[in-house]
Amino acid sequence: MWERTLQDLIRGLRANKKDESKFIAKAVDEIRSEIKGEDMELKAGAVLKLTYLEMLGYDMSWASFHVVEVMSSPRSHLKSVGYLAAGQSFNEDTDVLMLTTNLLKKDLSSTPADVAVTLNGLANIITSDLARDLAPELVAMLNHSRPAIRKRAVLTMYKVLMKYPEAAASARPRLVERLEDADQGVIAATANVLCELGRRRPQDYLTLAPQLFHILTTASNNWLIIKIVKLFGFMTPHEPRLVKKLQPPITDLISTTPAISLLYECVHTCIIGGMLQGTSGSALAKTCVTKLAAFLQDEDQNLKYIALLALTKIVPTHPYLLAEYQDVVLACVNDQDISIRMRALDLVCAMVNRDNLQSIVQQVLSHLVPETSSTMQPTASQSLAQHAIPVSPTNPRPALSPNQSPAYRLVLSQHILEMCSQNTYDNITNFEWYISVLVDLAHVANVDIGAEIRDQLVDVVARVKAARRYAVKLMYTLLTDETFLQNAQEEGSCKEVLWAAAWICGEHCRELTDPQQLLPYFFTAEVSHLTPDIIAVYIQAATKIFGYWAAELAERWDNEMLPELKEVVEAIVESVTEFSGSTHIEVQERAANALQLFKFIQADINTFQPKPYPNSGFSVPGPSSSFDPIPPSEPHFPKSLYLIQPLFNVYDLNPVARQAQASVPIPEGLDLDAWIVPPPPEPEPEAEPSEPRVKKSKKGKEKEGVNGTKTKGSKKKKDAEQLEPQDVLIPDQEETQEERALREKRKAERLAQLKDDPYYIIDDRSPPPTREDFDSIPVVKLEGMPSLQSIHDNRLPSLKPLPISSSVTQFVIEKEGEMPAGAVFPLLSSSPASRPQTTEPVLHLAAPVPLSSFPQYEVPDDIARTVTPEPVKVVRTKKKGTGKKKRTTDAS
Amino acid sequence: MIHAVLIFNTSGVARLTKFYTPLHQSSQAVIQKIFSLICSRPAGLCNFLDAPELEGFLGQNVDDDDRWRVVYRNYATLFFVFVVDGAESELGILDLIQVFVEALDRAFGNVCELDLVFHFDEVHHILAEIIQGGLVLETDVEEIDKAVHLAAKTRSESFASANPLSLTGGGLGSRGAHIKTPLGWLTGKLTGVGAR
Repeated sequence: MWERTLQDLIRGLRANKKDESKFIAKAVDEIRSEIKGEDMELKAGAVLKLTYLEMLGYDMSWASFHVVEVMSSPRSHLKSVGYLAAGQSFNEDTDVLMLTTNLLKKDLSSTPADVAVTLNGLANIITSDLARDLAPELVAMLNHSRPAIRKRAVLTMYKVLMKYPEAAASARPRLVERLEDADQGVIAATANVLCELGRRRPQDYLTLAPQLFHILTTASNNWLIIKIVKLFGFMTPHEPRLVKKLQPPITDLISTTPAISLLYECVHTCIIGGMLQGTSGSALAKTCVTKLAAFLQDEDQNLKYIALLALTKIVPTHPYLLAEYQDVVLACVNDQDISIRMRALDLVCAMVNRDNLQSIVQQVLSHLVPETSSTMQPTASQSLAQHAIPVSPTNPRPALSPNQSPAYRLVLSQHILEMCSQNTYDNITNFEWYISVLVDLAHVANVDIGAEIRDQLVDVVARVKAARRYAVKLMYTLLTDETFLQNAQEEGSCKEVLWAAAWICGEHCRELTDPQQLLPYFFTAEVSHLTPDIIAVYIQAATKIFGYWAAELAERWDNEMLPELKEVVEAIVESVTEFSGSTHIEVQERAANALQLFKFIQADINTFQPKPYPNSGFSVPGPSSSFDPIPPSEPHFPKSLYLIQPLFNVYDLNPVARQAQASVPIPEGLDLDAWIVPPPPEPEPEAEPSEPRVKKSKKGKEKEGVNGTKTKGSKKKKDAEQLEPQDVLIPDQEETQEERALREKRKAERLAQLKDDPYYIIDDRSPPPTREDFDSIPVVKLEGMPSLQSIHDNRLPSLKPLPISSSVTQFVIEKEGEMPAGAVFPLLSSSPASRPQTTEPVLHLAAPVPLSSFPQYEVPDDIARTVTPEPVKVVRTKKKGTGKKKRTTDAS
Repeated sequence: MIHAVLIFNTSGVARLTKFYTPLHQSSQAVIQKIFSLICSRPAGLCNFLDAPELEGFLGQNVDDDDRWRVVYRNYATLFFVFVVDGAESELGILDLIQVFVEALDRAFGNVCELDLVFHFDEVHHILAEIIQGGLVLETDVEEIDKAVHLAAKTRSESFASANPLSLTGGGLGSRGAHIKTPLGWLTGKLTGVGAR
């Protein structure tokens, strides 16, 4: 019988390269039969062959039982095959591992050679069960007479402790003893294990500091010292006293060691251990930086890499030390090695400040510009030409320049954004420059970074008022850029920037001289290929722009304008109609809304009689608007010109502070804990005392804690409310009475609410009035809030409307964002908005507060009308006369 | 700790794979990914593979100190790749690769790729004398060499006692397989420790 050995298999594989899978299938069949046989040699041979195939990616989990069989062979050469195969193919879930416990125990007490094999194998296959069962044996083995075994036992102990931490109690003392072992190898292994353990729980190992310190000062093995230094690095943050102790030896090591690996570790430990603080520390920092900077210019790329790694750690605390090396670092960003570039980018990112940001960004940006300008946009190349510092873009590059790799381009782009936006644009002095950088980036990035650029654009424009005009200008060119639009469907086109462009132009269209010229660009044929979210913004932006423009027209109305107006409206209606059939719900909704608005305008215009003072030929019967700027009679322009603007332009959108939401004062009388929809079944109709209790027990966490007993007691006797007061602990009595009043009030409120609840049946409900109330409530609220300073809450996601303040300062960044006027909780660093709070600033739309709880409806009646119109019903549109109301707010 | 030791040749064929930490994806995918990144790097670059594609691929959070790093070295037709985490020193690992190769060289005598191909089990045994369960066991080549020889001797003695009739009981312990090797051209390549 001729069996294939491993060598035969390998040879066969090499001979059958063309038909490998067939050959392997055949070989696996052979293995299957061999592995089942009685002959242990043969079985082991089969397992070894399988292990080889496993390396090539073939499954061998089916053979795990046979692997255990081979492991249990008494012969060393077979046993080692078994353990090798187990180490390669077993994992946590391998069920046969349960069978191995006794085998392992036996092997651990076998000959030293077998013990070594077993320890090594065990380190690979250990599970928490094995760790638990074998821990005693392994702990004992830490004192084995042979250093080679002790070494392995120490390392295996790490695995045991990972899987079965309970073993620490018995293992730790012996492990620590090994730090003073006679054998250097054992000490190194122990330091290795302690380093791994200490990394996870440094505070547990602080007591070892003296021994470790002794090793640090006496050992000569670099491996060992590196591990000790690393371990100290993990420990110092938890024990400041170590810093003083360590400073001398580490300083010594830094200045004397020839081993760069050790030097790097020392520097690293200094940094994370905070040893560079204070006067002696800064001297040390200077030494480190000087040493490391020398590596930056070393020919050895590895040193360069390591130096960059270390410098990145040092920069945050000692930026000034690096200033003089800026050019060297920037040269590294240009390195042909992508690994070095990545680290250099990190470093550069940490180095930027107000003075060097622009030049650094331009340099980095220039890496993204394709060397053979292919599809470049004028904007990009132009502005690059303006700013670009000659960076030797003509560098002779290897065939595959890292610049071409999409992943690298993405990293570059992200770093640019990160550098600029650090600390809310702390480093930016010129925001016009930054906006142009963003636009350039969108053009040249050629990777999927559009969404980030979009967010930055919107954020910057919201925060920096002075940059808006410039931003709108750039966005305008972007929107009218046909090539960009055409490329939008390609990968990495950054089309999301169009979202920002449309939004910015829409929101700040007053910066545009001829806003209507932009309108056609929102409805070109290519637009329909954009993603739905962009289209939705396009529609919205078009509506805003039209609204602004129309209002403008109205102010300088001239009958000559009518044809143009008609044309524009018609074009819009036509395009929007198309979108209103979109399958994307957001697009559809926006389009449908816009469509109704524009249809109404269209109807108005079509019936408009261009006379100096025409009577309304138009549907509004009643006194349309008592507050038209043009006093009593009908205006001489189509009134619908004022339909849209107030919907959008009343308030400015400003950034909202991070804690704004949390700082909204809770309006008096609003109980956030009150049920909106009370829990259904409980003793509902009964007298109130029982009811609040129910509420408490269900949800009032904080209350429950206080008087849990009460809740329980009351539950038992819930039908007997009479008892309640007695039942309640005496100290609470006063409170309860107050509470009771409150509860009664709440209950009344709740009951009132219930009336509106379609899912709640009350016998005595009176439906008709509610409907009407319901209708009026939100309207009133909307308008009311501005004038009542007391309440407002900002729930708009990221921006919120505020009156415009026209003062144009040189790039004031609203870093904090806005806080609600009556912000109450002084959260974290919640400082009030940096901008002056204008008198009636904070009105808030979208107040999702429970309806019932709003007491204040005292709203100027006229304003109330403005917002009411439900777009669909043409009848209601008459109220559009409200357009003028905007002026009130605008003026503020 | 060390999470993986890989050896593959310049065509990306694995010659040794040892994972000390279970991966969340197939080892072949990892090898292919690392190979594709490494082989595109011209000689003379640094030995640390740091590529944007790699981050996330190894399934580690991008926390800087716990980032998995790939340290590799190229010897003739082979790439030796170590995947390590922040507890290892990058330059130290670079030295360790050198130690590993020296150990192989001593064991096989002027090691070449074919040695690794035909004695992949032996390579594992040598590696086991340097790294155990992802932690470095020994860094001294002399010590490693001694231990390798000792283990090989144990195995070959065990083999000889089990196969008294075998002609090449002194083989590397890989079951004396090369006795059966009919190909003369290979014998030169197959000189193992025992045959030296």
